[in-house]
Amino acid sequence: MEAPAGDQEPEPSEIEYLSYGGEHHLPLIMSLVDEELSEPYSIFTYRYFVYLWPNLTYLAFHRGKCVGTVVCKMGEHRSTFRGYIAMLVVIKPYRGKGIATELVTRAIRVIMESGCEEVTLEAEVTNKGALALYGRLGFIRAKRLFRYYLNGVDAFRLKLLFPRLEAPFPVNQSETNDHLAESHFAYC
Amino acid sequence: MEDRGGNDVPASIPSGEQMVWADVSPLIAAACNDLHDGELIHGENFNLFAAMSALEIMDPKMDSGMERNGFHSIEEAIENGAAPIPLSLDRTVDVQRCIDVMDRLFSCEATWHRGHSLAQTVFSCIYLLRIERTSTHPLLHSYCRIMRSTCDVVITAVSDARTHEEEDFFTTAYGLPLKGDGDEKCLSLLNSVEETVSRQLRACKAQASRKKLCDDIGSLQTNPDLEEGYCRAVLCRLRFRKHFYHALVCMRKPQGRGLELAKKHVMSCLSELGSMSKSVEFLRSNAGGPSDGEIECRTTASGKQPFGFDANINSRLSAPTPPRAIQILSWKQAIEFFEKLLNDLDAIFSLPLDLSLEDILQSLVQFQKSQPDLVARAHLQLLLVQDGKLYGKYPFHVVISRALVLPEGTSDQAFQENEFVVQLGQLTINLIKILCTNNAWQRRKLGKILQDWGVISIQLELAFRREFDEMLKFSADEILLTRLSKRLLVWAEEKTYWIASRFLLLGFQLELYSPKEYCMVYWYMYVIFVNLLEKMQMRISYPVDDSRRKGKKKRDLAKDVGLESGVGASSSCMLVQCYVYISEGLTMMLAALHNERQIFQISSPFNSEHERFIQHFELLQRANVPPHISYHLFMKSTTHVQISNVVKHNYFREVQRILASLRGSFSGDSNKLLELHQLEQVVEHNRIALSVIDKVGASDPSLEIRFEFQHHPFFPVAVVKRS
Repeated sequence: MEAPAGDQEPEPSEIEYLSYGGEHHLPLIMSLVDEELSEPYSIFTYRYFVYLWPNLTYLAFHRGKCVGTVVCKMGEHRSTFRGYIAMLVVIKPYRGKGIATELVTRAIRVIMESGCEEVTLEAEVTNKGALALYGRLGFIRAKRLFRYYLNGVDAFRLKLLFPRLEAPFPVNQSETNDHLAESHFAYC
Repeated sequence: MEDRGGNDVPASIPSGEQMVWADVSPLIAAACNDLHDGELIHGENFNLFAAMSALEIMDPKMDSGMERNGFHSIEEAIENGAAPIPLSLDRTVDVQRCIDVMDRLFSCEATWHRGHSLAQTVFSCIYLLRIERTSTHPLLHSYCRIMRSTCDVVITAVSDARTHEEEDFFTTAYGLPLKGDGDEKCLSLLNSVEETVSRQLRACKAQASRKKLCDDIGSLQTNPDLEEGYCRAVLCRLRFRKHFYHALVCMRKPQGRGLELAKKHVMSCLSELGSMSKSVEFLRSNAGGPSDGEIECRTTASGKQPFGFDANINSRLSAPTPPRAIQILSWKQAIEFFEKLLNDLDAIFSLPLDLSLEDILQSLVQFQKSQPDLVARAHLQLLLVQDGKLYGKYPFHVVISRALVLPEGTSDQAFQENEFVVQLGQLTINLIKILCTNNAWQRRKLGKILQDWGVISIQLELAFRREFDEMLKFSADEILLTRLSKRLLVWAEEKTYWIASRFLLLGFQLELYSPKEYCMVYWYMYVIFVNLLEKMQMRISYPVDDSRRKGKKKRDLAKDVGLESGVGASSSCMLVQCYVYISEGLTMMLAALHNERQIFQISSPFNSEHERFIQHFELLQRANVPPHISYHLFMKSTTHVQISNVVKHNYFREVQRILASLRGSFSGDSNKLLELHQLEQVVEHNRIALSVIDKVGASDPSLEIRFEFQHHPFFPVAVVKRS
């Protein structure tokens, strides 16, 4: 018996990425997240994100079916303007194809263009996939949070710092620790 | 009461005198019809953010009051026979079941320590929640009382230590009966039951013939063949509880007076744990319980499910949202947990209770290596800092004066009242407390306090310089003060660099660095160690004040000051010198591989290595530890490095020389000798790896190079393979 046509491997070009378009997208996002992530979110949590920052939520579709989503926010936190990635889900059959990377990349681009200085999120220390994904995008593991999750697992706080526009570096470097460069590392 | 459909709705909550229930379903339905999809009632104090904390009534995931299967209250559970007293009319079965309850409580206790709520673990036991009911059953009653008292003592200790908000989940006991009348007699209760069972054990062992009458009132249970086994099983459990409670109480005695006794109790606990483990076979074979592969996961030694526990009974006590189901540790895991806890507590007893701050800091680092849990760490902190004094005995100005070499003629009073000494005392107390927290929290706090230490260093430097400029005008006292400021400055700076080094090193333990970042991390470590070494050498270079030497034998002096001066100090310096060379060697090796092989490249679409550098070292940079360090400097130092340069400089060979001479100084200290051995492995393997890479050629594609922490916790070894 042949496998139904819909089960064939999707080409990257077949994946359609849409920005949050309105109420009709909300149930899609909710069912994806409810299915895959274990935290119980109320509908108000979703509304908080998609109403205030609709341009920071993206959905991935394959032949009309929603297969992934990313939900973010941004705002001021202790005098830094920063983005926060709240939820990222891609359903199992579609993992490993770069969909999550594409979703996150699009969201981060918007965050960056909006003037944020950095982006942050938390991820389980055991979530190798997520850590590798974000590592490739330039995130560092800024902190470890002890037993952050209810199941006792630690989390990393991941942070991505955008380049700051600075004046070019002055040629005259100040005293003291320059001697480290000169005497110890003179290999040029 | 009728619902909308006109049917009778059972009144599960009866109306009171001043209270009437009204059905508002029609009103809510009308309001809902008024709103469209996506609309939200927006009140003055109710916005979208606030809405996130909203309760969804009657959603079982979110509403802990929601009707579900199981008992609605403790009373209902009891009425339905969930926690019978006695546990069986058959005395043998009663003892078996009682032991099962004890075992489950033991597993629950370990689960609680592991980070779950008290309500879902220890207090999921109905016997414990209604302790008065058990008073007719001496064995169960005494066990419950001591269990409860132990929880109370532990919570008090952790609360007193006031570690920090991330771990205060442990002490949450809202609505739980943690204390009760008669708890203060728990030990005597336990002792009398222990005595009874102990006597019974002696009696049944002494019987010439085992065929004693079954209805002997003194016997534990009715089967004479099993009497000895059950007596033993019960006794070791009771004794474990007794010794554990005693140990905890002794540890709280002020000024460490109870430590020796606490150690004896801890040893007894470990011995009783051994007896408990030995009782497993007997209990399993007589329980008639399951003998499947699952038995290792059971929370009792016998493998049978215990009576009297309900995981959901307290669900309404916690947050409005129902707690997640948790997994209680298996009984076997609980035994392992307590073995570790007891060994961690035992490590506290081996601390040298002397005045050397260097020794204390090193002991704290060593203690944390086994990743002890909150309870052990809290007790250590309580021992070290009591009433603002070290061990509750020594004010911190005394500790600091021992760590410095005071200028000749400094009076104790002047020293004590010196504003910088007072501040440094506070900073030191805070540092010790931070070093007792879990590694993740500890690293963040160490990074933060760098600012405080940096500020006081600046103030000391200003005080020293200002005074120095006007030396001629000053009296002898003021000159003394200047010298003191200088010594305090050197000491404070050394401590600052030590904190910075701990901050960086903990990053390895916490797995915060990716291999792409190792080069910059080792470079920064090299810089920090160079500065640390410089400050250490400055401190040691001060001549020891002769007036303080009068009357002291040389041997006593050396013992007194420990690592602060003399042989101890110079070997500490040599060890840091090793760290300097290894860090430098690793930096250069990683830089060369980066340059010649293009491995460890960071190629993100959003930022570059510069941003990662800024982020990793932000706290150090902000505190100017050290000043004038930048990414630019890092680049200058590493951009043109090649493997051939690294081989020529032979860092690892330098270290081997130093390690050889350190062996003698560290003999007798097993921890230090272990580290020497680890360092020897690291430098030897890296030296060889370097020469292999150099011979084959760093850019040769047949080489596979990885860095692994096989020997030493923060210095890796380059593992080279040819494909």
